[in-house]
Amino acid sequence: MAKIKNIKGLMIPITDYPHMPYWATLEEAIVLLNFSYETTHKNVLVFDEAYRLLGVLDQKKILRDIQPQFSKLDSDKITDDWDKAVSTFNLKQLKEPIKDFMTPFNITLDIKDHVLKAAHLMLKHNIDLLPVKDSERVVGTLKMHDVFHEITAFIIKS
Amino acid sequence: MRSLLNIFKKIKFKNSDISEPSSHGRTSFQERYTCFQKLLSDNNSILEIMGDMEEKLSGDHIFDMHYVDSRCDILVEKVHSVIENLNGLSNRQYLSLYDTFEEINSVIQDSLIKKIQIPVTDYTIPFENVTRDMVSSVGGKNANLGEIKNRLNLPVPEGFCISAYAFKRFIDYNELRDKINLSSVNTVSMQELTMASKNAQNLVLNARVPDDLEKSILDAAAELERKVLSRTGTFNVSVRSSAIHEDAQFTFAGQYKTSLNVSPENLISKYLEIIASLFTARAIFYCKSKGFQDEDMVMAVGVVEMINAKASGVMYSRDPTDERKYDIIINGVWGLGKYAVDGIVEPHTYIVSRDVPGTILTKKQPKQKVMLICGHKEDAIDVRVPDYIKRMPCLNDEQIITLAQYAIALEKHYGKPQDVEWALDLNDKLFILQTRPLRIVTEKRTRPIPTFLPGHKVLIDKGQIACKGVGAGKVYFVTKEEDLKNFPEGAVLVAKHTTPKFVTVMEKASAIIADVGSPTGHMASITREYGVPTILNTEIAMKTLRPGQEVTVDAINRNVYDGRIEQLIEAGKRENPFKDTAVFGVLRGVLKNIVPLNLIYPENEEEFSPKGCKTFHDITRFVHEMAMNEMFKIGKGANTGKGGAVKLVVQLPLDIHVIDLGGGVENSSKRITVDNIRSIPMKALLKGMMAIEWPGPPPVNVKGLLSVIASTTVGPNSEKALSEPSFAVISREYMNFSIRLGYHLQTLEAYAGDSINDNYIRFLFRGGGASHDRRARRTRLIKEILERIDFNVEMTGDVLDGRMTKYNRATIEAKLDIMAKLTAFTKQLDMTLFSDAVVDWYIKEFIKKYYTEATRPYS
Repeated sequence: MAKIKNIKGLMIPITDYPHMPYWATLEEAIVLLNFSYETTHKNVLVFDEAYRLLGVLDQKKILRDIQPQFSKLDSDKITDDWDKAVSTFNLKQLKEPIKDFMTPFNITLDIKDHVLKAAHLMLKHNIDLLPVKDSERVVGTLKMHDVFHEITAFIIKS
Repeated sequence: MRSLLNIFKKIKFKNSDISEPSSHGRTSFQERYTCFQKLLSDNNSILEIMGDMEEKLSGDHIFDMHYVDSRCDILVEKVHSVIENLNGLSNRQYLSLYDTFEEINSVIQDSLIKKIQIPVTDYTIPFENVTRDMVSSVGGKNANLGEIKNRLNLPVPEGFCISAYAFKRFIDYNELRDKINLSSVNTVSMQELTMASKNAQNLVLNARVPDDLEKSILDAAAELERKVLSRTGTFNVSVRSSAIHEDAQFTFAGQYKTSLNVSPENLISKYLEIIASLFTARAIFYCKSKGFQDEDMVMAVGVVEMINAKASGVMYSRDPTDERKYDIIINGVWGLGKYAVDGIVEPHTYIVSRDVPGTILTKKQPKQKVMLICGHKEDAIDVRVPDYIKRMPCLNDEQIITLAQYAIALEKHYGKPQDVEWALDLNDKLFILQTRPLRIVTEKRTRPIPTFLPGHKVLIDKGQIACKGVGAGKVYFVTKEEDLKNFPEGAVLVAKHTTPKFVTVMEKASAIIADVGSPTGHMASITREYGVPTILNTEIAMKTLRPGQEVTVDAINRNVYDGRIEQLIEAGKRENPFKDTAVFGVLRGVLKNIVPLNLIYPENEEEFSPKGCKTFHDITRFVHEMAMNEMFKIGKGANTGKGGAVKLVVQLPLDIHVIDLGGGVENSSKRITVDNIRSIPMKALLKGMMAIEWPGPPPVNVKGLLSVIASTTVGPNSEKALSEPSFAVISREYMNFSIRLGYHLQTLEAYAGDSINDNYIRFLFRGGGASHDRRARRTRLIKEILERIDFNVEMTGDVLDGRMTKYNRATIEAKLDIMAKLTAFTKQLDMTLFSDAVVDWYIKEFIKKYYTEATRPYS
């Protein structure tokens, strides 16, 4: 029996990931995401002042919050004019703290958990990113992207 | 007197008791703060007095020995006091400074005592053996006559000197020093002066010339007579004073007696008369006020063949009334020159061109009615000018040209314009009787540099002058220490701040301009030492001037002009007429051990130490620097909670406790509010802190993961650090605030008083909760922002140490306001600093948000 790898080798160390305190503004978070564009990180982790992990900001949610109607409109009615589009955005929110936009983490992985368990939790809760703990410390995050790659690579090989 | 005083001072100093502050508690803070304040105040006095003394060296002010003495006394007291207070402040950490102080002080005291050393020579010295370097043996007048006879081969009468050593022999033999004793004479009372003078003169006139001295004089006179008789057939002498300081100090000119046409048998009594003239009331007054001791009043005498002059007079190698005129002016009268010198008759005047040698430009020959001639036996007599010469020139053209050539030769030899006495004997032979430096009324005095020079663009017209003068060159910006390495020769140094480190380019800089700075600062002192024209506190130089731009710095009127203005540069050249005076020499001498600054680099610990101090300025700088360090440490002591702190009730996410050192808080109840704060820096800081939005409370609906992230300095139990209180030790002008914010500790210290020399802000920052690279990024962010707002920042490991000094109170307050915003802005910002690009964005954000034109200083 081939043992399923644990997630230690798959996770991204926490220090490699953008993170911010909960009081940072949405604007700051967007700037940070833009700067980390090349690293392919699509999320910002949010902490409190004691460095406790509170949640995550993801790109889809940010866009939804800027224009709540966006996802609800008929696709045909989406304007192709930048100025017009921007005028409907709620830009005041850029100055609001990210605590209002983040998605809390209610589930965590343990560093000893294996990949299939991680996949199971992600699918069950419809989450693409989960924090990984090593005893009492958060040491990294695991992305759906990497979980998918690991599982499918095994399937193809066998 | 002075030495007694020194002994007293030493005893007083050695016994002085340094009060030791109580080991802890608020009293300890207060005592230390009292030391600090006293130290700051003395530090300022010292810098001011030093500045004033240096200013005196510029030659624009008259001062006397009393000035030098009294300033030195104050400096000694103040420098000792700063050492005492530093030791009080630091629990006696700097006791070795006392030894350094004693060493420097003893050198200063020695140089204040101006004692003439009388060289041992023969009692009489023939002119053939005299040169100008023998001033201390034969006096200035004799030395110059010997010089021009032996080194220039110009015609001077035969003669010999009765030396200073002979004078000493005479004084000692008659025990006149003790009998005359002028030390207690009050020079302000004319009556006392006259009494003392009469007494001294009587003592001299009734004293006896010892046999060996008399024999020496008479032998020398006999030898002189033999030489002269073979040439002229008659022999009398003139006996002339030649005081040791005469000529070197022009104010003595004409103080002492000269006897004309003396027959050899009266030589000894005339010698006594001349010695007695050393003690006229006027001469005593000058001697005492110029810093001489009784022992310094020394008189040599010249015994010179009497030239029975047909004509004589005075000649100037340049026009003394106008420094721009170079032609030679010869004044002459028929007969002895005394009538020309004393202005009894209107002299003939001949002006000879310097540019076209041999050209007489002007001849003026007024009718002369009376003249002075040698009496048959002795003395000089007043007679009518014979009719046949009344309207004739007293010199023919050939003689005029010859005299002019002598004048040029003398000026060339001495390197400065000369004032020459001449005589023409009955055989039409010309003689030089005396030469001395000519005092020229300089243009500076008659025509000051215009406040504004029309037709030229004024770039800067404000600031404070640290060193007077005019300099021109290309603007060179110095924004960091490395810029000094490539400082171009002759450039104008332009900087935001001043630092003693500029000393390395003082020889090259033609002028210095700074936005900030004080004329009593350390660097200012160095500019005066090097004579670099300097304007400080211009506020706008860095903004107004461009690198490479040619400018003329008029540090007399406080103007900086566009371009190079030769007229100003020329006008700014300053000749100091007093620089050869004795009191000037004393001042220059003592300042050598007071003013130069050798302690330049605080980071060089070996040099920047009590051992490295060579002057009072060094001690003062060292003490000031150490005192600031010691005060900075006070914050640490406050955290022990022994300080009797009161809680500050304030709408800030900070638990602030205040310890008042005096005047910092309005009342002393257990809880105070911002309105009770009277501390200038604390008020400014709190105002800034309250004007900014602080992070709100954490989201209530999020439980969060009760775990912290790894790879940080934060452990599961370090959370309590977040609730640690912050302590502020304050007084009216002072604040030392240790702020606990998140996981970092920052100490913000400031002094905001009325003297800009006292004022400073120091900011120490360390720590943070994020991983090392993010903490380092935050440190860089703070460093760059601090530098943008004019701090001087140094990094040691992850400790950031920023300072700004010497700004006025309003600017310190404005900067504290920004510091308040920076404090809130950077709270746990390390967490966010994912990359260097993010750091740059935040720097720009901060500047954009909080460092607008409106919050900049000087607005």
